Amino acid sequence: MAGNNALYVRRRIANIVALLLSSLATLIGLFFLAWILWETLKQGISALSPTLFTKITAYGEDGGLANAMVGSLLINFIGIAIATPIGVMAGMWLAEYANRSKLGASVRFLNDILLSAPSIVLGLFVYTIVVLPMKNLTDGAITFSGLAGGIALSLIALPVVVRTTDEMLRLVPSTLREAALSLGVPQWKLTMQILVRSARSGIITGVLLALARISGETAPLLFTAFGNNYMSLNPIDKMASLPQVIYQYANDPGEGLHAIAWAGAFVVTMFVLLLSLGSRLLFARSKVSND
Amino acid sequence: MTDPAFSPAPAAEAAMVHAGNGTPAPAKITVRDLNFFYNGFHALKGISMDIPEKQVTAIIGPSGCGKSTLLRIFNRIYNIYPKLEAKGEIVLDGENILDPKYSLNRLRSKVGMVFQKPVPFPMTIFENVAYGIRHHERLGRAEMENRVEQALRSAALWDEVKDKLKQNALGLSGGQQQRLCIARGIALKPEVLLLDEPTSALDPIATSRIEQLVEELKADFTIVIVTHNMQQAARCSDQTAFMYLGELIEFDKTEKIFTKPNKKQTEDYITGRFG
Amino acid sequence: MSSPSMVNAPTLTADMAARNRRDARNDRLFAWLLAACGMIVLVTLVGAAGSTLWGGREAFAKFGWHFLVSTEWDPGTDTYGALVPIFGTVVTALIALVIAVPVSFGISLFLTEVAPNWLRSPVGSAIELLAGIPSIIYGMWGLFIFSPFMSAHVKPWLVNYMSTQPDDGKVAWIPAHVPFIGKVFTSQYPFGGGVLTAGIVLAIMVIPFISSVMREVFQTVPTRLKESAYALGSSTWEVVWDIVLPYTRSAVIGGVFLGLGRALGETMAVAFVLGNAFQLSASLLEPGSSIASAIANQFSEAVGLQKSALMALAFLLFVVTFIVLLIARLMLRRLASKEGR
Repeated sequence: MAGNNALYVRRRIANIVALLLSSLATLIGLFFLAWILWETLKQGISALSPTLFTKITAYGEDGGLANAMVGSLLINFIGIAIATPIGVMAGMWLAEYANRSKLGASVRFLNDILLSAPSIVLGLFVYTIVVLPMKNLTDGAITFSGLAGGIALSLIALPVVVRTTDEMLRLVPSTLREAALSLGVPQWKLTMQILVRSARSGIITGVLLALARISGETAPLLFTAFGNNYMSLNPIDKMASLPQVIYQYANDPGEGLHAIAWAGAFVVTMFVLLLSLGSRLLFARSKVSND
Repeated sequence: MTDPAFSPAPAAEAAMVHAGNGTPAPAKITVRDLNFFYNGFHALKGISMDIPEKQVTAIIGPSGCGKSTLLRIFNRIYNIYPKLEAKGEIVLDGENILDPKYSLNRLRSKVGMVFQKPVPFPMTIFENVAYGIRHHERLGRAEMENRVEQALRSAALWDEVKDKLKQNALGLSGGQQQRLCIARGIALKPEVLLLDEPTSALDPIATSRIEQLVEELKADFTIVIVTHNMQQAARCSDQTAFMYLGELIEFDKTEKIFTKPNKKQTEDYITGRFG
Repeated sequence: MSSPSMVNAPTLTADMAARNRRDARNDRLFAWLLAACGMIVLVTLVGAAGSTLWGGREAFAKFGWHFLVSTEWDPGTDTYGALVPIFGTVVTALIALVIAVPVSFGISLFLTEVAPNWLRSPVGSAIELLAGIPSIIYGMWGLFIFSPFMSAHVKPWLVNYMSTQPDDGKVAWIPAHVPFIGKVFTSQYPFGGGVLTAGIVLAIMVIPFISSVMREVFQTVPTRLKESAYALGSSTWEVVWDIVLPYTRSAVIGGVFLGLGRALGETMAVAFVLGNAFQLSASLLEPGSSIASAIANQFSEAVGLQKSALMALAFLLFVVTFIVLLIARLMLRRLASKEGR
């Protein structure tokens, strides 16, 4: 019995150690989350000032981020405006037309890979297919542009929208399809007018998630939108964006620029976190209404 | 389900089954030697039957017997799934609806269908009824309102929803939703109405309303109802078909089926000895 | 369209036939349009690989296989080799995995088996919040907060106890007796960034990805399986180790590969703290370079062959991450098919 008892004790100790370690791992994760958020809040709020929203980056340490904020909004808008229709339609194709086909299965699979593909390479892709041809066509008058930046971001948003649309449509019960078809409604009307409506909040969630995802993207903008120290609303002009300015300022030795970078980081983080919070709330609601 | 003690009637015999002699109404739908395949699986075997006009025909049988499958062929809703194949003839008003040339639009405006679970579209109550009409006819505003009201009245729903036509249909109760689906179906002015276990998701009160409605609707429509509830078939149908393992075992006046069926299998099922 | 006054049976049928044709045509067009949108996903993947291969063709042609093994990266002599950024990419990603995998495992164990029910959802959401923070924030935090912390607290300790060249000249027991380890923790710079710091920042970034996959797959283990193990008197840890892990093994590996793919391709978090030095060093405390950070730092100013070499790097990165992510998805799919989904 003594041997059994020792075995029992050893097993219990192993269990306790393992459970303690797992709690410790969780604490580590939460600790870093708190640390990163805390520093962003602390450094960001202390650097917040009205000039941040009114002045442009051309004034350097005495300036603000107005042009970068406007640029970010524009570029993100272009990205979402491109990715949403294409992504929703691609998702519809996967869920409604290609659900059982091999091609559909491969596209669904590859879309998941695109979801985590390195964004910097997608930036180079857009550089090659948009920035370079523009430059050659216009003899260098137009090179980097907000439009190119938006296209690059749309490629990052696309797989997010495709995936959520596909998943949400597949949750729609097939009886709804049968009911509409038995009224003689054609497939395209059924898809555009009924299925999309019943998966609407899920699809909007996907678009919000995609927006959150691209709002912090930096790497693909470096060689597409490039940056601009002045306010620009022209989509075929070089355009500043918050992440790009943060990157530039943080790598600069000037302390004043670091403060502005932190303020920008704070703004981006708040924007992204509020978006993901909003999409979560929306999704929670849509789940209830689907039941 | 494959009860060894129970051997299905030979196909040849089953193919001869008709509703008893002296059926007063002419046949609206004539099924001739219908076979149905499902990924190669022979799901319906040599079904032949005449469905009389403006009467209620019930199809009963244990689950998996093919009764829903049969119903879903009458408006070719099975067409939306791959690898399903129907062979034989289903003649509606003298034309074979299984002919690929038969227009699906025409078929579905003539044959309406209501499903097991109520499936309102995610739109207003009014739009739910108007949606299908819009696809088939161009109506003015007043005409459309009139048409929707008629449909809702026929479905015995008008009094309950007339003040909230602009509200989302998902807010209605289950029984109301199902009557809305019936209204949606009859708004197209079909000639045949297919009901696939329309009360299986409803409570007893909602069920009796639907049954009452079926009774009223048969003045205007030919109704085919699939049900696993034998009492329901006995209560509200004129003819009853009993199916088992993909074959039509017996088809006769409801009264006859429930009092002295010709086949032993029917009797066993009716008396609850299996299934 | 037929006029409304002609409502008699023949016109109605003709009208229906016309509508039928129109519906069929619209349906076909619609299906083609949707399929074209679906194809954009493929076009993007093929285009990203193709455009970088095309952009890198000069570098590949000029240096051939030597490009992969050369450590020289010198715009002065226009000679470029990819080994330093490849090495940096791989080492930082591996450090990230070494840290992130056990921590993620611990977190998902905590969230599925250990924590009381009321705690699971808030803690799980908090960890997922980490995934939502933009990578540039990790980069800034790494550069301004974490690097100085490493430089002030961690690095001196590591140099003292692990290096063969500590500041006070007294070599500690471990570096004196374990071969090679001294080299790994040698540092000539006071800089707090470097390969180890970048690896840790990457680890924090990928933890939410790996742990959310692990948590999800742990939840797919049938309760009866776990219950029957508990019924035999197994402890929580034994159930996880003997039942849950074997059942979900392929998906857990898939989650790890997913994290690896993320870590390999991450740009900003690494570019801030790695130091962008093109030197091959065994030491984890020295600055280095990764493929993504090299592209981010140099591409805008690069011309000619240097630009081509950076494109070639991007191609290599894309191909490697594609393969890693492919493996990840295949492994994840295996569990899904086991569930019969």
